[in-house]
Amino acid sequence: MRLISRRSKEKLIIAALVALTGAAVIPLLWIVASIVWNGVSVMSIEFLTSLPAPFGSTGGGIGNAIVGTLIINLFASGLGIPLGILTGIYLSEYAYDSKMGSAVRTVVESLSGVPSIVIGLFAFTLIVLTFRHYTGIAATLALGIMMIPLVAKATEESMRVVSNDLREAGMALGIPKYNITTRIVLSMAKGGVISGALLAFARISGETAPLLFTALFSFYWPTGINQPIATLQVLIYNYAISGFADWVAKAWGASLLLVLVVIAINVAVRTLGRKKYGGA
Amino acid sequence: MATKLVTEKLSAWFGKKQVLKDVSIAFEERQVTALVGPSGCGKSTFIRCLNRMHELNPGARVDGKVFLDGLDIYGMDPMEVRRKIGMVFQKPNPFPNMSISDNVVAGIRLSGDARKSDLDEIVERTLKSVGLYDEVKEDLKRSGASLSGGQQQRLCIARALAMQPEVILMDEPTSSLDPASTSRIEELIRKLKSEITVIIITHNVGQAARISDKTAFLYLGELIEYNDTKAFFESPKSPITERYITGRFG
Ligand SMILES: Nc1ncnc2c1ncn2[C@@H]1O[C@H](COP(=O)(O)OP(=O)(O)OP(=O)(O)O)[C@@H](O)[C@H]1O
Ligand SMILES: [Mg+2]
Repeated sequence: MRLISRRSKEKLIIAALVALTGAAVIPLLWIVASIVWNGVSVMSIEFLTSLPAPFGSTGGGIGNAIVGTLIINLFASGLGIPLGILTGIYLSEYAYDSKMGSAVRTVVESLSGVPSIVIGLFAFTLIVLTFRHYTGIAATLALGIMMIPLVAKATEESMRVVSNDLREAGMALGIPKYNITTRIVLSMAKGGVISGALLAFARISGETAPLLFTALFSFYWPTGINQPIATLQVLIYNYAISGFADWVAKAWGASLLLVLVVIAINVAVRTLGRKKYGGA
Repeated sequence: MATKLVTEKLSAWFGKKQVLKDVSIAFEERQVTALVGPSGCGKSTFIRCLNRMHELNPGARVDGKVFLDGLDIYGMDPMEVRRKIGMVFQKPNPFPNMSISDNVVAGIRLSGDARKSDLDEIVERTLKSVGLYDEVKEDLKRSGASLSGGQQQRLCIARALAMQPEVILMDEPTSSLDPASTSRIEELIRKLKSEITVIIITHNVGQAARISDKTAFLYLGELIEYNDTKAFFESPKSPITERYITGRFG
């Protein structure tokens, strides 16, 4: 009697869990499905490689926005990844339980909680207002700053899990600390650092707010970084609200591309993780 | 017989807690000295003062003097001290991100004084000296962590020997190993003393008797007795020593 009721209770709980997991997964699948459904029809070589057609006429593509997102992401990575790694190394190896370390850690953690639009505002004030024009440099600064806490945290955490025995082994051999840090600890943590950097890259690939008033947009190919630059994110925003059917369709196409990149990065990170923990 | 390493009134603290009290001892050159004593008596702390590793603990302090060939190591560059006085730990700790051969020369490579030319030769010679070469010569590029525990420990000894230290400190190097690996390492230690001074901590009184020339007994941070191993075990002077070696405590 009691046994049966306990069993049916367990069945009930499992059913509830399945239902709730479904409730969480269905909207996600729905989003991906509608992006694929709406985006796949505009995919073509022309779409991926040409400049936008003027407003009102059909055809053209998003080539300049693809290049723009790539340029800004790469420059932002060039800023955010090294600074993030250095911060992570400092926190893990040089200031783990010092006052300075916990101060830096608090700053870094707060930084990851600052809304991206506020970081954009900072870049806008510092650079756009000084240069008196919209520029990719300001976007690079904003996105680069956003990457720092993500990379720093990943670096610190993956270095902390390296056994202290190895640091001691290194010290006992008379190896200088900077070599123990880089050639032993960081080298062992590099899977986690690379994953963190890739995830930070994926994360900024979706950021739009800080780009709206920094890189803004452009209908032309970028010829440098210090100019307004089109990005996929801002293109999606502009086109989706334009009310012009051809542009709305292109916004879906650009969304599909962005989602594919983010999914690809996540798959890459998971494979990397599996390789690291799966032995061999 | 010459003395190699001498401590004078060596004391050590973790924070406010004193764990070594005025230990004065002279280690003979090219001899094996065993360090015994109950758990927590300060053996590890003591040998970590001999290569300046103790001071790396936050809040740790050392007082007194340690002379290597008459020179105070606390007046030397700690890195230099650690290259001259090698260390082997209780748990084998090869660098898992390096191959077997890179492990052997890790100290030479990463400590900046690489005589890069003859690294392969050093790898071969050192692995031979610890009796590991024939077991691993086919896969020197495999990760050092892929070896068995006993092989890993011999690799760690090779890694320390590759620096050509004058003294080697061993902290219970066989306590995590099976009997066969243990006896291989004991044999290796007996062989080592033709070239280097060995100081080894052991919890195994039998091991101390088998491999050492002299034995020192530490108790509650103090040196209680230090004598030729034979005399140490056959006619201990202190009743505490006698109780320890007859297994009546700790
Ligand atoms: N990191 C530390 N912080 C504070 N106290 C410590 C620390 N490490 C060791 N101690 C204390 O110092 C004393 C000596 O420790 P030590 O490790 O030198 O003993 P040991 O003789 O090597 O013991 P065992 O045989 O168990 O290895 C012990 O009382 C121990 O609790
Ligand atoms: Mg110990």
